[in-house]
Amino acid sequence: MIGLVTRLLSAIPRGRARFVAAIALGVAATGASVALLGVSAWLLTLAAEHPAVAALTVPATAVRMFGTSRGAFRYAERLCGHDLALNMQGALRLSVYDKLARTTLLGARRGDLLTRVTADVEAIMDVVVRVALPFASASVVVLGTSLILATFDVASAVVLLGCAVIAGIVVPWVAARLSLRDDAATVPLRAAMADVVYETALAAPELVAYGASETQFAKLAEADAQLRRADQRAAWTRGLAVGAQSVVMGMAVAAALLFGADAVVTGELRAPALAVLVFTPLALAESFDDLAKAAQVMTRARASLERVTALLDAAPVGVGDRARTVTETSDRGVPDSATEGAAPVAHDPASITALSSVRIAAAAETSQHPARIRPPSDSSAECSPSAAHAPLLQHVASPQAVPQEDSSYATSPQTTAAVLALRDLVIGWPDAPPLLHGINLELGPGERVAVTGASGVGKTTLAATILGMIPPAAGELIADDSIGYLAQDAHIFATTVAENVRIGNPWATDDAITAALARVGLSYLDLAREVSAQTLSGGEARRVAAARLLVLRPAPALVILDEPTEHLDHESAAALMRDLWAAFGPTTALLVITHDAEVIARCPGELRL
Amino acid sequence: MAAAVLGVLRALLVLLQAALIADTVAGVFETRSLDGVERAAGWLLVVFAARGLLGWLTTAVSQRAAADVKSQLRLEVMRARLGNPVSSRTSPGTLVSVVTQGLDALDGYFGRFLPQLLLAVTVPVIAGVAVGLRDATSAVIVAVTVPLIPVFMVLIGWTTETRVKRRFAVQTRLANHFADLISGLATLQVFGRAITARQGLARSENAHRSETMGTLRVAFLSAFVLELAATLSVALIAVTIGFRVLYGSLDLATALYVLVVAPEVYLPIRMVGVHFHDSANGSAAADAAFAAIDATPVPVPAPEERDTESHREGLDALRTGSRVLEFAEVSFCYPGGAGIRNLSFDVAPGEVVALTGPSGAGKTTVLALVMGFLAADSGTVRVGCDIAYVAQEPGMLRGTVADNVRLGWTNATETELRQALDVAGGVGITLDRHVGDAGEGLSAGERRRVALARALLRVRLGSAGLLVLDEPTAGLDADTEEQAVRAIRALKVAALIVSHRQAVLELADKSVPICDLRNLAEPESGVSP
Repeated sequence: MIGLVTRLLSAIPRGRARFVAAIALGVAATGASVALLGVSAWLLTLAAEHPAVAALTVPATAVRMFGTSRGAFRYAERLCGHDLALNMQGALRLSVYDKLARTTLLGARRGDLLTRVTADVEAIMDVVVRVALPFASASVVVLGTSLILATFDVASAVVLLGCAVIAGIVVPWVAARLSLRDDAATVPLRAAMADVVYETALAAPELVAYGASETQFAKLAEADAQLRRADQRAAWTRGLAVGAQSVVMGMAVAAALLFGADAVVTGELRAPALAVLVFTPLALAESFDDLAKAAQVMTRARASLERVTALLDAAPVGVGDRARTVTETSDRGVPDSATEGAAPVAHDPASITALSSVRIAAAAETSQHPARIRPPSDSSAECSPSAAHAPLLQHVASPQAVPQEDSSYATSPQTTAAVLALRDLVIGWPDAPPLLHGINLELGPGERVAVTGASGVGKTTLAATILGMIPPAAGELIADDSIGYLAQDAHIFATTVAENVRIGNPWATDDAITAALARVGLSYLDLAREVSAQTLSGGEARRVAAARLLVLRPAPALVILDEPTEHLDHESAAALMRDLWAAFGPTTALLVITHDAEVIARCPGELRL
Repeated sequence: MAAAVLGVLRALLVLLQAALIADTVAGVFETRSLDGVERAAGWLLVVFAARGLLGWLTTAVSQRAAADVKSQLRLEVMRARLGNPVSSRTSPGTLVSVVTQGLDALDGYFGRFLPQLLLAVTVPVIAGVAVGLRDATSAVIVAVTVPLIPVFMVLIGWTTETRVKRRFAVQTRLANHFADLISGLATLQVFGRAITARQGLARSENAHRSETMGTLRVAFLSAFVLELAATLSVALIAVTIGFRVLYGSLDLATALYVLVVAPEVYLPIRMVGVHFHDSANGSAAADAAFAAIDATPVPVPAPEERDTESHREGLDALRTGSRVLEFAEVSFCYPGGAGIRNLSFDVAPGEVVALTGPSGAGKTTVLALVMGFLAADSGTVRVGCDIAYVAQEPGMLRGTVADNVRLGWTNATETELRQALDVAGGVGITLDRHVGDAGEGLSAGERRRVALARALLRVRLGSAGLLVLDEPTAGLDADTEEQAVRAIRALKVAALIVSHRQAVLELADKSVPICDLRNLAEPESGVSP
């Protein structure tokens, strides 16, 4: 974790200098309040010796100065510290973003990680502002005070330092251990409580309708009682650190009094110094408190930052960004086989027509990039739909069911290339055991195939593989460059409708966007309207996401719909599908991942995984 | 009350500690002897230990109180949720976070802020009076400066409030940009836009920092004034009594006593400021909980309007041939204007009635009125028998499929469960299949079949006379749908069904069209019933 902090300090301009400056200001602020009490005590006892008035001028001025400066130093320290911490947080967010952006997330089931990482990076603020800076400045002040007091009386200074170590390090450490133990006891109870609450919230109508609400409430009350008892047990350890610090402080004051008085009586020490020895530890109470708080925050922040560090140090999986096809120049009829970012895999067309599966797998292993190879136009004969090599393919759409003649598709007028061909494909996440073996599928222009299978079987992983975002584990994958993907949870960004649609194509004109929105039944949405995931209904969100695919250039030859009707009520689902079938027209091949029987019924082919 | 006593005790211990230190140091100064020093040191240890004990007790007592309050709020929120099962105001996810992490903010409120607030009230008063008893001049300084602190705080709060609020809104939006991008990262990657979106993130991070610093420069001002007032007052007191000691108008013991007590007067007030965010978070958490509780009020209809008491009455109703369900001039209006108006229809025993109408017309609302989840604004809903209910997205309990079907009839045997599930079209679903969170482990279609089996069980064993079904065959293929429809018909009980499917509508004895209230012409909506 210290590694992460130093890394971030070097990542921002003058990071180390600003860190030192913030500590110095903290030392000045805390030091001022310690000095205020110490010098005041000196002033009083000195005055009691009735010297000339001039003798009090210096201590009196010092007292006024410390009284004024403390607040100003603290204010400056807070601003300096927060500015530093915000800089570090920004740097950390960018590193985390860079890392995640280069890792394929589609279908990776890292939803919890994504929601957590947002909160986790905020821990860096706490670590800087509430742990590192207070701990450093409190340590310097305690050490400095002990050194100064040692010039008066070594014994009481040693006791003070010892007490500071106990109060500032040992006590917080023990308290942290105790609170970890308490947390270990309450975390499972808390999770159990959350489970019952979630269940109750979702099934409330049924529970009430079937008269089971009292039984369920008893279940809730039981979970609650266990959590409450655990919370109450934990309450006893909460204040221990505060209590123990007071005891330790008492030891420091009593020691100063005993040693100091002895030195004064024996004449080794001037009388005013005794008051300084006794009063200074009192002023250190706040520093002790800072140390204890720092330890508490540290316990909480450590887990977060360890997760962030693990994330930053993990090896990337997949390619992250899907390579975008060249937008302005290419036309969908002749996509460039070596498009931006895609690996120019060396191959000769003959080996593809031979349906050799080994070659593509090898290519996938040697390159971070997916085996995304455009079938040459003369290979169409071999790519035509055939059930012969498709043991898992239940049914392939009959070629005559789809329009054959579409000049925008065919690279040569007399043939129609397969948009997608999977042969003995094995899919799985890199460095994980394969999920599925022997997937075979041929999809021509305009064909529709439903992909079905139990949840968790790897349907979205298949989509990620086809999209070229993770390499195939083995087997052959031939896909058109221009593929659109509509996720069931496609994100709606907190910006305007137009910007949300432009995710599909940053160069899309307003007219193109308006046309796309009309095709997905959203003509009533104003382009400039600010939207977010919360302000659109589930159906509307999916329609906006579909509009992104409609502005893609070149227009996708294949569109993958991933559970398009999931979590929508029946009416919205039916209406959405009506619009989607129409929007993607008769020439776009559709691969529809679904388990909705009504949707499956609209697809002539089915690939059951 | 206990906390108030602890606060007073704390103040008294502070005074005792001050007296011990002042008298001993002054004694050594005057007598140059160690008389009583050891005993005073011993007593000091006792006083500090007592302060520690008190601090520990205060925290423990407050935390236990927080645990009680949290538990009470949790149960009230959940009681409210069960009282209003179709409430859409609080999503299940929100409810979970309100009830678990959300309420934890009350720990800070009860454990830190409230005890500190109490100390801020008791300690300055008691300590101020004690200072006054020994030295009136110092007490005057205290009495003048202490009230200045809250006055300055309020003034600063007033003048900066709008600025801070406006900046805070901008700041929150910028802060959320990162969360928004991270949530949408998979979407960006599919379009190959993740790397390019980084520039926007870098820009918004910079803007976020400068906006936040702008807010903090203002927000920290109040802390600055608080600290300045506290330390400056102590400095003022110290210098004043210093010169009075010099001129012999004040003895050293009193001066030292005042010097120990003075900072203790300001400390609790300053700590209230430090723990202020605990207070804000705690209030926010309590507000969220109260909002979830207030989303409730479903007046339970009077018995003469809703006769659902027992299925025995239902059987009587069946025998006498009266209606199992009757809607007479029923109106219900949502705050947004949607709802139903003057709806009248009835369902005879054994009759299958379909509710039809465009999307959003209020068909599901009618079912909620039948189930008593909502209470009609006007008109009468009469229910003559026990009801078996299948929602569009049926709620599932964690456990097994058997647990879920058994909800229909608690005492059903394994055989009866199996039978009900088979009839509902769930032949392939084993009873011991595990059901996780939100019905995980079952597909949407399977969940509907399990819910249908649940309802069938209630009809067969519980003698429910009315089946209420919301889109029971959505997502089923034609074969399974036909089987489900046949099962419903074979029951020979009354049924109220919302559906679009032709097969289901053909099964109905009659249809009740529900028209969309939002599309009604103005004059018509102006006519009073």
